[in-house]
Amino acid sequence: MGTAVLTVNNLNAWYGKGKMALADFSLELAERETAGLIGLNGAGKTTFMKTLSGLLPTFRSEGILLSGKPVSPRKQAFKRCRYTVFAEDNSFPYFTFREYLSYVFSAYKKDIPDISELVQGFHFGDYTDILLKDLSTGNRKKAFLITAFALKPRLLFLDEPVNGLDFQSTEYLYQKIAGYKEHGTVLFSSHILESITLTCDRVFVLENGKIRQTFEHGQMNAADIREALCYENDI
Amino acid sequence: MKMTFKAFAKNLFGAKYERLQRSIFFCLIVFWGLHITDWKIQIAPFIRYLMLSTLTAGVMWQTLCTEENAARMQNMLMLPFDNRNFVYSYVAALGAYTIFTKTIILFVVLLAVSDWKPIEIGGSAVCTINAILMAAAIYSFKKYWYVGIPWAVTIVAGILLFGNTVWILPPLIVSSIFAAIHLQRTDGYIFCSQKERKNYRVKQHRHFAVWRYLFRYLGCHKNYLMNTAVMWCVALILPYFLGKMENLFVVPIGFAILSINTPVCILLSCDPDFEQAVRFLPGQKKAFCIPYCLFIFVCNMIANAIFLCGWRNSITALMIVTAIFFALQSAILSVLLEWFFPIRDWKTESDLWHHPRKYIVPAIMLLIAAAIQI
Repeated sequence: MGTAVLTVNNLNAWYGKGKMALADFSLELAERETAGLIGLNGAGKTTFMKTLSGLLPTFRSEGILLSGKPVSPRKQAFKRCRYTVFAEDNSFPYFTFREYLSYVFSAYKKDIPDISELVQGFHFGDYTDILLKDLSTGNRKKAFLITAFALKPRLLFLDEPVNGLDFQSTEYLYQKIAGYKEHGTVLFSSHILESITLTCDRVFVLENGKIRQTFEHGQMNAADIREALCYENDI
Repeated sequence: MKMTFKAFAKNLFGAKYERLQRSIFFCLIVFWGLHITDWKIQIAPFIRYLMLSTLTAGVMWQTLCTEENAARMQNMLMLPFDNRNFVYSYVAALGAYTIFTKTIILFVVLLAVSDWKPIEIGGSAVCTINAILMAAAIYSFKKYWYVGIPWAVTIVAGILLFGNTVWILPPLIVSSIFAAIHLQRTDGYIFCSQKERKNYRVKQHRHFAVWRYLFRYLGCHKNYLMNTAVMWCVALILPYFLGKMENLFVVPIGFAILSINTPVCILLSCDPDFEQAVRFLPGQKKAFCIPYCLFIFVCNMIANAIFLCGWRNSITALMIVTAIFFALQSAILSVLLEWFFPIRDWKTESDLWHHPRKYIVPAIMLLIAAAIQI
């Protein structure tokens, strides 16, 4: 494993009294790696993504480090290094995709690159000037994925990115995730084993808000991960 | 029917009906507070009936129009439901929510500050129930909702003409029965309004503009636009009332009143996904809050300008400066409230529109107006 880009030490996150979603969750992501999070519903995948995105204020940790320096998920310095594609996102309904893209790039203080290849890859050409609220769930997801891959943040978090996508776009997404190492690190959560085994260098198996098992590149195959998931959850 | 009603009611009031308990507790405090002041005013029964009817019908209409209803209902509509039970349960739950969270507050205020006869309390109950049933029935006409206008006008005329006598009760009861019979035959799917999705391109813009986003939002929410237009109409007639108070420097009071433009001040609260996205992106305090503040400032400033145009006495430079100051100050305060204290856990759009938070900015502006007077 290369040098660590993101280190999370003993993260605890909760929603209400006694409703602990993550408990002593620790994880280290290497520079330019693709890591997958897999677990049953309620295992804590989305909570972890939300915490790192600065959307969950109820958390405590012994340290979140970006390249060895402590950071806060709500501070600008960390925000500018990461972008998250959420599992469900109905935000900015009254912007078109182009306007949203321009808004995001302005927020990250970057110039918009040529996105024609991404638009073509996701078969999104006909929808760039339609308000996001008027797009279908899958097309809205594509809008956020294109933004993410165009932005090329150092840390890219994808929460259930495959949900809602058609077959062709899913294949294209796998390519983009696998090729993201050129730009940075990807952490993505999924219920679909195939999407993890096809793209990831490492897989973290989550159960009850903790990482129970990690599979490295050489050890990774769907049967082992499936067995781990079944074993951890007594299925 | 009981189960269906419970399903809707728990959605609105909370799993343990905690919203109902909170509302009743709040009303008791309001009643007790007003009662011990022993402050009494004369209000004719027909005015009380009119106030209760219009508030109830308005809130019920807004609750029926809430887009989130579709998401709450779709699973229930998928099941092989009994249509009559479904419609009655839905209307009853929404009606109970309207009465016990909104109408009850007006009712206890009226109860505390004016003298009532027992028959008038009964009359108020009939008015309220009729308003609920009528709003639901007229809503069910969908695109032919205007058919309900003569019905509503007749009821208002009846209250105005016979509101001080018991003769108002028979027409109200007949109206309620008519609405109930109509609802019995109404298709439950009518209440599940799907979001309109227009798959057409808008004018191409390569770059974003927050003000364009906000104008589009208002354009798609006609009720928000209407409320803003109503505020501007209020700005037109306000000088007539305030102009009579010649000895006081009343202009700032007018500006303070005109800052109660709820819809434009809740644009983050009303869209939790949008709020989440704005908080998630970097640099949004500047990138979003400043244009939003300017947007509210422009809305307030238009109202203030209309107010000044209607002012019969001479307009001084100080008045113009005061108008700008009040418009800007209330815009800044509104954005700060939205950013730091957004309204969460709301169930219907009417919760947002009638949240007590809306009075904070006008109250501060009134205090500033009072300070200017001193």
